Amino acid sequence: MVLPDSIRPHWPYAPRFASVNGWRMHYVDEGAGDPVLLLHGNPTWGFLYRDFIPILTGAGHRVIVPDMIGFGLSEKPTREHAHSLDGHGANLIALVRKLDLQRVTMVCHDWGGPTGLSCALSNLERMRALVVMSTWAWRTPAAEFHTRIFPWRTMHAPLIGPYLLGKHSALAGRGVYLSVVDREKFRQRAQSAYEAVLPDPASRLLTWTWPRWIPLDDAARAGERFDWLESELARCTLPALIVWGREDEVFAADVFATRFKELLPHAEGPELVTGRHFLQEDSGPAIAERIVRFLAEVRRREGI
Amino acid sequence: MSVLVTVIDPPDTSGKRRTLVLAEDRVGHYPEFRAFFERTFDLARVGLSQPGYLNVSTGGTYELVFLGRSAEPFPSGIEINAIVSALEPIDEERVDHEIWAILRWVIEGVGPPWTVQDLDATGRLYRVPAAQGPI
Repeated sequence: MVLPDSIRPHWPYAPRFASVNGWRMHYVDEGAGDPVLLLHGNPTWGFLYRDFIPILTGAGHRVIVPDMIGFGLSEKPTREHAHSLDGHGANLIALVRKLDLQRVTMVCHDWGGPTGLSCALSNLERMRALVVMSTWAWRTPAAEFHTRIFPWRTMHAPLIGPYLLGKHSALAGRGVYLSVVDREKFRQRAQSAYEAVLPDPASRLLTWTWPRWIPLDDAARAGERFDWLESELARCTLPALIVWGREDEVFAADVFATRFKELLPHAEGPELVTGRHFLQEDSGPAIAERIVRFLAEVRRREGI
Repeated sequence: MSVLVTVIDPPDTSGKRRTLVLAEDRVGHYPEFRAFFERTFDLARVGLSQPGYLNVSTGGTYELVFLGRSAEPFPSGIEINAIVSALEPIDEERVDHEIWAILRWVIEGVGPPWTVQDLDATGRLYRVPAAQGPI
């Protein structure tokens, strides 16, 4: 895997690898203090959090940013059946246990939500706090965007998914581009970083596999896991922060951030920032600084 | 002029090779897609005994290999092979346009709510060259 030279100044972190649940996972591990785990989704990788890392480490936190198996610099399985929601949850649990992380703040975005919350809610004794951004944790209703034939269901339909998202990299390239606010800045500074780590059609398998795991009806494959996530989240008392993109058209704030607030009424937020679905691209430093303030308040409440 | 896709009898493959151009592990993700292939190629009767074949009016011939998976309705997956001269590299641009034509043929066969217009619009949105028009 070769990162473009233009990317390296923005991603100077030492690559680390761990064997998790039978797969080779790449992650970065910077700073010292209580750990903050930054979780990306489809089709991004740890690079999405490049603006978070110096701010969080500078505020006295240890920051761990794993690349989901199938994305970034992690191993990329070549068979669709290698991927499942529970399998990805188990991958994260393996990493948390391998690094023996305690007092973890789990920061979840997109599929980093269902996977990260599966990990957090089944390992509460290791958790300290939750941050959720543009994600979900329940079976239905799905986002209106995800129910539409054009473009969402068409782009990952049988045969069309492998063609459009595989051969033509529709999600890793133009898909992310369309889901940020400042598209020109994204094109100049970041788009090549997302495209470079998914260079071949086979490497992009998870980009059309994840959309097929989004529950749209009662027959959804991961329906029971989403039901469990919703019920466990409603019982969760961990300190929580909800951050959302004001311009998010995929997981609209008035529906999804509101639902998280209903499940986690004690949570701070929703804090609205400039951003579509990939809000870290438009408001990375602002979100990181908000997390620093949130964790300072958590620390104050803990009396430390 | 639109590109025509036609189901054909098994072609003569002497001096040819099969080259994999597209694979789908989960053709039943939306069951109406699997149903389309089942009825178009009479798969309830034919099963695994023979592939399906397509001719594209721009000149290409394609083989559809139907895959079975335990505990799932047949077919569970599909591999599409271009049948080309044994030692000649493929014409990548032409094959890409012909795959697009096959996808349009599939969507037309699956029928509503799936439409060729939505497929074309999706292709244009994501700037797929074949969706912009003929070679």
